[in-house]
Amino acid sequence: MKSLIKEFTKGIIKENPTFVLALGLCPTLAVSVSVANGIGMGVAATFVLLGSSVIISLVKNFIPNKIRIPCFIVIIATFVTIIELCLKAYSPVLDRALGIYVPLIVVNCIVLGRAEAFACKNNLLSSFLDGLGMGIGFTLALILISAIREFLGSGQILGHTLIKGFEPVFVFGMPSGALLVIGLLLGFFNLLRNRKT
Amino acid sequence: MKEMVRYGFTLALICVISAGLLSAVDMLTRSKIAAQALAEEQAALKEVMPEAAKFTEVKSGGEILYYRAFDSQDKLIGFAFKAGGKGYSSVIETLAGIFLDGKISAIKVISINETPGLGMRVAQDSFTRQFKGQDALSLSAVEAISGVTISSRAVIDSVIKKAQELKELIKNEK
Repeated sequence: MKSLIKEFTKGIIKENPTFVLALGLCPTLAVSVSVANGIGMGVAATFVLLGSSVIISLVKNFIPNKIRIPCFIVIIATFVTIIELCLKAYSPVLDRALGIYVPLIVVNCIVLGRAEAFACKNNLLSSFLDGLGMGIGFTLALILISAIREFLGSGQILGHTLIKGFEPVFVFGMPSGALLVIGLLLGFFNLLRNRKT
Repeated sequence: MKEMVRYGFTLALICVISAGLLSAVDMLTRSKIAAQALAEEQAALKEVMPEAAKFTEVKSGGEILYYRAFDSQDKLIGFAFKAGGKGYSSVIETLAGIFLDGKISAIKVISINETPGLGMRVAQDSFTRQFKGQDALSLSAVEAISGVTISSRAVIDSVIKKAQELKELIKNEK
């Protein structure tokens, strides 16, 4: 039981996909311009991560080791496409908000990374918890980065202006600003970790 | 050799299952997606020309050139069209409604992916409401947002360009 809880919580802090594993940085750079985008991408990625982790841990004994990567990619891409079609058909509002980010999940290396590093070696329950924890960790990281960027880059949080008369620093709205924010946050979290040990 | 056949077979099997699943989902969702797109289009048209009760497409070779707008008595009151122009980092698509006299009813940015806090501001009401009542061929009183010249000009110029193209097409309709 204790180890199961650990599988869930490790993705949030100890092995946070963005700040510790440094996986999926490319979509993080592109998406984290506003908190709404960050939440959308995080939730969509969490769904895919959950689904693909569960399915891959179910079929892991059936897939030969040497061709596992193409098999994983096909499974993940199928999952993403199903989600995209369902979003378009049943929730066009959400679909418009997430836009290109849903299909982009296919190439998000967190999903493939967890399939490769965890789901293909562990049972259903642990893989489910691992996927959920990693997804939540990714979402929280995105929210943190995008909150900083949205505030500095456009003076707003979730579209609401916080401080009147605050002159936005445009560089934080650009990908170069994302690199700065992620770099500083990574350094900050590393410092915290080193202090602890 | 035997291994290779087994690998190929496994991968093919996974692909077949995936393809089957996807075509099933596609069949289930296709009509829904088309209906959603149509409803969205009608809602957007209604926004740029609230006076109209009905819109009909005018097509040429499968491509929609523009829309005719009719009021509740089926009288032609104007037109609506889509205009697209290259902005700073994306093609900005605008839907515009014009009355028969060539004055803009309203415009709405329907597809945009510009810099947040900068280029994205052209989609806001404070910019688009300037278009109301302007002559579509000149848009002389529409001012670009300062610091957002490229995105603003993309919207303004694309609407003027499309209006000029349409002027020839709709000449015979009045």
